[in-house]
Amino acid sequence: MKFIKKNAIALLIIVLISTGVYFSYQAYKGTDLSRIPVQVKKTSAQNPYKEAPNSSRITNKGVEQLKVYPSIQKGMRTPFDLWNYYGKGDSSFGSPNLPMRFEQWVDFNKKQKPKLMADVDAYMNGRFNFDSRAIPGQFMSGGRKPIMAGPVTRLPRGIDSFETLADLAPEEIKKRDLFPFKPLAHPIQSTAHMVFPDSWVAIHPQHKRLDVDMDIPEDYLPEFPPPLFLTTHKELGDVTGGQEITLDNFFEMFDGIISPEQMEGLKELLRPTPTTWFNHTSHRITEEPSQGVACLDCHVNGHTNGAFELAPDSRPNMARLRVDTPTMRGNYNLMLLSSKRSIRSMDHFAEVEEYFDGDPGMQQSIGPRAAKREVTNRMGDFNSIIDYPPAPKLNPLMRLIPGKATESELRGEAVFHGKGQCDKCHYGPAFTDDYMHDLQVERFYVGRPEGPIKTFPLRGIKDSPPYLHDGRLPTLADAVEFFNIVLTLKLTKQEKEDLVNYLLAL
Amino acid sequence: MENRTNLLRYALGIVYFHFGLLKYFRDLSSAELIAEQTIMKFSLYAFDAHTALLFLATFEVIIGLGFLFNFKPKLIFCLFLLHMAGTFIPLFVFPEIAFKFAPFAPTLEGQYILKNIVFLAAGWAVLYPQIKSKGMKSRVEEK
Ligand code: HEC
Ligand code: HEC
Repeated sequence: MKFIKKNAIALLIIVLISTGVYFSYQAYKGTDLSRIPVQVKKTSAQNPYKEAPNSSRITNKGVEQLKVYPSIQKGMRTPFDLWNYYGKGDSSFGSPNLPMRFEQWVDFNKKQKPKLMADVDAYMNGRFNFDSRAIPGQFMSGGRKPIMAGPVTRLPRGIDSFETLADLAPEEIKKRDLFPFKPLAHPIQSTAHMVFPDSWVAIHPQHKRLDVDMDIPEDYLPEFPPPLFLTTHKELGDVTGGQEITLDNFFEMFDGIISPEQMEGLKELLRPTPTTWFNHTSHRITEEPSQGVACLDCHVNGHTNGAFELAPDSRPNMARLRVDTPTMRGNYNLMLLSSKRSIRSMDHFAEVEEYFDGDPGMQQSIGPRAAKREVTNRMGDFNSIIDYPPAPKLNPLMRLIPGKATESELRGEAVFHGKGQCDKCHYGPAFTDDYMHDLQVERFYVGRPEGPIKTFPLRGIKDSPPYLHDGRLPTLADAVEFFNIVLTLKLTKQEKEDLVNYLLAL
Repeated sequence: MENRTNLLRYALGIVYFHFGLLKYFRDLSSAELIAEQTIMKFSLYAFDAHTALLFLATFEVIIGLGFLFNFKPKLIFCLFLLHMAGTFIPLFVFPEIAFKFAPFAPTLEGQYILKNIVFLAAGWAVLYPQIKSKGMKSRVEEK
């Protein structure tokens, strides 16, 4: 009693402020400014039904264990475990302005980079054992780069083998937090954008970023420069002679073997154009102004150099999935392009991929590529003659030729079509069903679900590590372990080895 | 003596308690960005944003209650000085956010931080005399 009397004013203040803050929070949640996406009854829009049924507050189901994205500005570090987070962005629209003066921006990024990259290395080495061990005698299609052995994903503490792990039920793996194949984030998902491999940056210093470098070791990336095979000139083999195709040499290389339309398309695929962060304005992530990026800067020689990006199809930036560059080889066979956007033709792709962050507003501010229909059609014309690398062990029905294949490859093929059930989704000339599937990987860990992703083709797959949309599986052996767990296949060690050998033959 | 600074004490208590409490409610505090980022960066990313903010919220609420109820002046004074020192960290770890042009052209965030010298003086005026007089009393008692 005495205490209350003595501190009446203090207590009154506390009660007032606490109730005030509490009620403000309830009213603020779910408004346009808030980053917590609670749907509340909309009163501002004209509603023809006056009072919609069930228009009361909907709570976010299934996010109880997730955290709300941290507050960030462009350039600020974001968590590596972004799967643990959810939330709304301030706005769907980007701005071409930096949050500070350009000189400060350069300083800020330069100061942040060393610690960021040290943390990225520690994180990646904590997840993967990049020991650069190659599979004896196996090379990518250019014949120069060895193919890495795996799995290199580290097992969780207390689990002695992938077989032990695969024996556990999904619920148990989730409960004990044992899943080793969680998503991979872009190291800096506030700025995000393209990150090129070191081998590329060494030759193309205009793509050296102030803030971040590639986080995957060179050994686990595709060969550079990769060979290019044409559907129209199978007899010529690799038409590049081991060189990178550039705006300077493409004509010499292709004159007399491709059509004028294809030549025009190839030129456009090689012509750099401004992007969100590689351009001539101060909204850039390079010290010097840049001419931008060309399609074949990532899809080098019609294949990939392993550069990664964020898929443009979601907001806020922290919700966008990391995607590594898929090959363009054999894209002529695909009905479904890109991981989530379900783009149906390569002509169309060349149109939409003008702006990699999917932000037409930014395009206006920074400089549009403004390619006309005819031009994007021609880019599509060139894309559609990029062939798969040779697979001499496959017959026209895409089955192994017994005389040419090894015992192990043949056993692997049997697993692929049998116990492994891979052929349920991976079949036909490209080994894809051209559907998007929700693998429901979140059954195995607490995290924001990634939703349906297209079945990426497996023809020529040995040439395009790392695997999965975000490159979280550095080798084919990791991919096999991943599917063994995710599809609860319970493959034996031998079956998994055979499956890897089979995938190498595709 | 105490009565003269009571108003100042309550004012400090209100601001600490209120702005501290806000930080418990995700996304409600306008200082979230700078507070989270500073603690994360200063702790070499040992904290994630959530932990950082909860830590700071608790820190500020305790100081706020300390001012409001006038308890343990010595402890509160230490926490207060520590907190005050902390609020100036962004000037050094995020000069790009605090200054349009360092050091004499602060941004709004920079002004928000620099005005804390008034806080510092006020807190000192409220707490220091109490600690000093108590300290003297105990020394007298020892004798
Ligand atoms: C970061 C470097 C980068 C550049 C530059 C780039 N791409 Fe891509 N490309 C990607 C990534 C990453 C994806 C996967 C996107 C997704 O999953 O949403 C992709 C996907 C594609 C696909 C679909 C492949 C598939 O298997 O689904 C096509 C076709 C394509 N790009 C064509 C282009 C064209 C045409 C250009 C130039 C206008 C271009 N790309 C420029 C990285 C790049
Ligand atoms: C339910 C359909 C389905 C089945 C069955 C399936 N996959 Fe896939 N596969 C997918 C999807 C979808 C992706 C792309 C997933 C992603 O990127 O997140 C994929 C991707 C892959 C990739 C990576 C491709 C790349 O370019 O990165 C490999 C390798 C692969 N699958 C191998 C296998 C093997 C081996 C099996 C059998 C053990 C198998 N898959 C069974 C749907 C399936």
